[in-house]
Amino acid sequence: MAKTIKTRVQRYNPDSDDAPYFQEFDVEYEPGMTVLDALLYIQDKFDSSLAFRWECRGGQCGSCAVKVNRTARIACRTKVNPDENLVLEPLEKMPVIKDLVTDMAQTTFRIRRIRPYVARDKQPQHPEIIRAEEIEKLREIRKCIECSACLSNCPIVHETWDYPGPMIIRQLARLELDPRDVEDRVAMAMNESVYSCTTCRMCTDICPKKIDIPALAVELLRAKAVEAGYPLAEGQQAFLDSINETGRAVPVKDEPLLKQVKDAEFFVDNPRGRVAFFTGCLIDYRMQNTGKALIDVLNRNNIDVVVPKEQWCCASPAFRTGDLNTAHAAARRVTEIFEEACKKYNCDTVVVACAGCGKTLREDHRPFIESERGEPPLYKVYDMAEYMIQVIGKENIVPPKGEIKLKITYHEPCHLGRGQHVYDEPIELLKMIPGVEYIDDPYKNRCCGAGGGVRAGLRELSQKIALTKKEYIEATGADMVTTECPFCTIQINDMMKETNMQVRYIPDLLAESYRKGEGK
Amino acid sequence: MDYKTIMCDVLVVGAGGAGCRAAIAASKHNLDVIMLSKELLGKAHTAMAEGGYNVSLGNVDPDDNPETHFKDTIVGGNYLNNQKLAEILVRDAPQRIFDLEDMGAVFDRTPEGKIAQRVFGKQSWRRTAYASDRTGSEIMVTLTEGIRKSSVRVFDEVFATKLLVTDGKIAGVCAVDLKYGDYLVFRAKAVVMATGGAGRIFSVTSNAQLDVGDGYGMAYEAGCEMIDMEMVQFHPTGMVKPESAKGRLVTEAVRGEGGILLNNEGERFMNRYYPEVMELAGRDQVARSIMTEVLEGRGSPDGGVYLSIAHLPRTIIEFRLESMIEQFEDAGVDIRDEPMLVSPTAHHFMGGIKIDEDSATNISGLYAAGECTGGVHGGNRLGGNALADTQVFGALSGENAAKYAKKNTHLGVDRDAIMSEFVNLEEMLKRKEGVSPADARDELTELMWNKVQIFRKEDEMQYAVKELRRIEKEVVPKIKVDVPVKRFNPGWHQAIEFAHMVTTARMVAEAAVMRKGSRGAHYRVDADPNEKGHYNIIIRKGKNGEMELRKEDLVITKITLP
Repeated sequence: MAKTIKTRVQRYNPDSDDAPYFQEFDVEYEPGMTVLDALLYIQDKFDSSLAFRWECRGGQCGSCAVKVNRTARIACRTKVNPDENLVLEPLEKMPVIKDLVTDMAQTTFRIRRIRPYVARDKQPQHPEIIRAEEIEKLREIRKCIECSACLSNCPIVHETWDYPGPMIIRQLARLELDPRDVEDRVAMAMNESVYSCTTCRMCTDICPKKIDIPALAVELLRAKAVEAGYPLAEGQQAFLDSINETGRAVPVKDEPLLKQVKDAEFFVDNPRGRVAFFTGCLIDYRMQNTGKALIDVLNRNNIDVVVPKEQWCCASPAFRTGDLNTAHAAARRVTEIFEEACKKYNCDTVVVACAGCGKTLREDHRPFIESERGEPPLYKVYDMAEYMIQVIGKENIVPPKGEIKLKITYHEPCHLGRGQHVYDEPIELLKMIPGVEYIDDPYKNRCCGAGGGVRAGLRELSQKIALTKKEYIEATGADMVTTECPFCTIQINDMMKETNMQVRYIPDLLAESYRKGEGK
Repeated sequence: MDYKTIMCDVLVVGAGGAGCRAAIAASKHNLDVIMLSKELLGKAHTAMAEGGYNVSLGNVDPDDNPETHFKDTIVGGNYLNNQKLAEILVRDAPQRIFDLEDMGAVFDRTPEGKIAQRVFGKQSWRRTAYASDRTGSEIMVTLTEGIRKSSVRVFDEVFATKLLVTDGKIAGVCAVDLKYGDYLVFRAKAVVMATGGAGRIFSVTSNAQLDVGDGYGMAYEAGCEMIDMEMVQFHPTGMVKPESAKGRLVTEAVRGEGGILLNNEGERFMNRYYPEVMELAGRDQVARSIMTEVLEGRGSPDGGVYLSIAHLPRTIIEFRLESMIEQFEDAGVDIRDEPMLVSPTAHHFMGGIKIDEDSATNISGLYAAGECTGGVHGGNRLGGNALADTQVFGALSGENAAKYAKKNTHLGVDRDAIMSEFVNLEEMLKRKEGVSPADARDELTELMWNKVQIFRKEDEMQYAVKELRRIEKEVVPKIKVDVPVKRFNPGWHQAIEFAHMVTTARMVAEAAVMRKGSRGAHYRVDADPNEKGHYNIIIRKGKNGEMELRKEDLVITKITLP
């Protein structure tokens, strides 16, 4: 029996329709079929006037980007999931010409405006000598096929055309990295609001060429801007000054966690493992209870926890905003502290509960330290939920017994999901808590607007992104939204201030359930 | 029937490698240049090319020089090339690659920092410049940057359907804006055709959607001479599934790394055909071997054979064939464990519009460049020569079109001819009854795939010729679009393309019938052993509208035939 996929496609002919509408088709499923196959099937069997773009069907030309179940991707390389309905819509932000075909004029206009070609000041001598090292970095970000899917998905572009979107910022980086180009691309990047990006990585996630735009383009241009003497926003500079002076990005308010805990050693009787806890600035100085909750939860699961009393900021604010001096100094310091702690206590694993710290330790410190001294930091880094599900093992986790009877949804921090590829583990932990009714938010992986220095540097933009996110969270009908990142927690707390929606950090919830469950 | 007339000095039809290069060249002469692109700018089929750009720079093999490049090209073309054109190709390739670098191209480097060159099919020296495995994309991205720097006006998604000729000289084109359905007339002093190939007349092709031979159709109808239309290159390995990927190239590198071909009996059949070289035989040899297996019933149920690398270490596959792992993931196949389904696929047209050493056609003011032309590659094309072709003749045709435009004025246009063209296009939407473009296309592509493919036989080709004439007379005038909407209607686009596909198919079939011996890519199972085949077949529309074919002597300069 042939399986069919219910496929809803947005139709719109502005010549004859007043508004877009959805049309449903039954598409016969074949293993391995792509969204393009589905569209061609509909065109062939039902309506040959269904408008969509395609050319090479091989992921090389970038013609066929459409929104597939809310996320823009190229149709020819996106497989149809046989267990899901399919909803196809045109790219966001661009006016519709017909059905899934959009008007690319705005994109073309923004591209042209940055003079997107190698600007030479003199005719080169031939043969032109260009060494492989000079163009090494350039080759990676050169591969863009201008499919515009990244523009459609970008949470910043969603709010404003001040920011031209990842595709175009990437072109500026491509030109900045080209030794032959003489234009001041950094000035152009500043003009194109390069500090608007939250580094949420939605672009990299769906890029057909997997170009890491936030790291290779956005952060690169920001580093060049700092080098060129462009001042950072006041809020961002305050973080960096604080890191350099005190090792913490924010000033002390209440007694820090690391002062509250008496010893560095939280050992259990029959340990199945031992980890060192990297707290990060916000858990140490603002969310001390979360830190205690993490230690508690791990101890209950027979994990020894080492908490080095002298720690340092991971310097994510520095990496994101381009202050590489501060960033690299912090990376060296952190590596030193934790290599020493791991050696002293004979462990090789560091656990974090902050998504930003985790991503920074794994994706920023690790390659930098490796490039500097030839080998990366001598410890593995895990997010707490990841460690519990992957290392302890789901079947070995002590089941929490305290009932928390709430409808709970989850916000996936950008730097935990797309940043460290930890997607299901926090949700699995949530579902272990008795009484919890987990409600999935289809937009759970959409940025909250706090990251990349945007909350500190461009508060108004950050709030706009947060407001859009708020709508999606509220649409779930949940009583509580949980997450695994202090920045997200602060941001979401802010946006939910006037509402009844509770905001909670997952380790705290887990610890509460454990405590409740033992009648304490 | 309303239409808008747009004026310019030089009109370039086509925005691929040749079209963009021509437009850039023409725009350097203080002229207004318009480039028509059937697709969005930057998304032409050139972007699919993987192999490289042949150029005798001698950066890796210092003994390489234009003469050797020339010789390899002529030998590769089985001596049917127009040697004057081949001389220009090898002479200008170096400067054209420097032009690309000037525009910002990023090619792989040698240790000394020069353009790196690698080995590629049937060449005496390492002369293929490349940008990892995406050279075509690199060139296309560079040209797009170049176009955005220039003053060229780009009209995206505008489809030229007919050339306008006045007193034997070019006057402009009729076109449709695919986005909104508007009818347009572009009047120009000079026109460059850069419309690419026609793989889509076959049911299995590596070509993108847009490669339907509309340029061949337009040129023929306008009175251009066409050459070598029987020469179609079939790449031995294209994908078979999923449906949308049918015909997509599976790179030669898979066989280069040790991939083996198996039939449905699990036999490594190349042992029976070319035991000394096995899977590394020439492209046409491998294609014929695979096709023979399929025709004799030893292929897979879906029509191909199996290409397996499962015997190779996983690490080798993951390092060297990463893009293949990705490509086949789409098909639900893990190539580290399972065999790939592959089949020969229509890949490149060596023939096309006949041009001279100025890249000019026989119509005054009309130039042509790239895959839509014939003569450069003769009977078969060397891998890596096509990208060089686009740049060399793209620049040449743009230059000469500009020079012509400076010396000439706009000609008047035949408004009756224009009206009748647009009425004809409109009719496709208005007919009450007829044949749907999809059905018509299926019939055509199946016919060509079954009867005028790798193994050619007199009675099969005669059948194709007869059928194609019937289709032209009876089906083309009856094409009826299912939904009568003009705004971005793919059904209408396909209907408009159909007539050109039929014209192109007719030229391929009739030329194939005329050539009684095997030569180049044209292989006959009933080849006349006495025919030497030292001629080109020229096709032209006769005075009474009939397709006229004739044989012409080869254009020889340096290399006499063996």
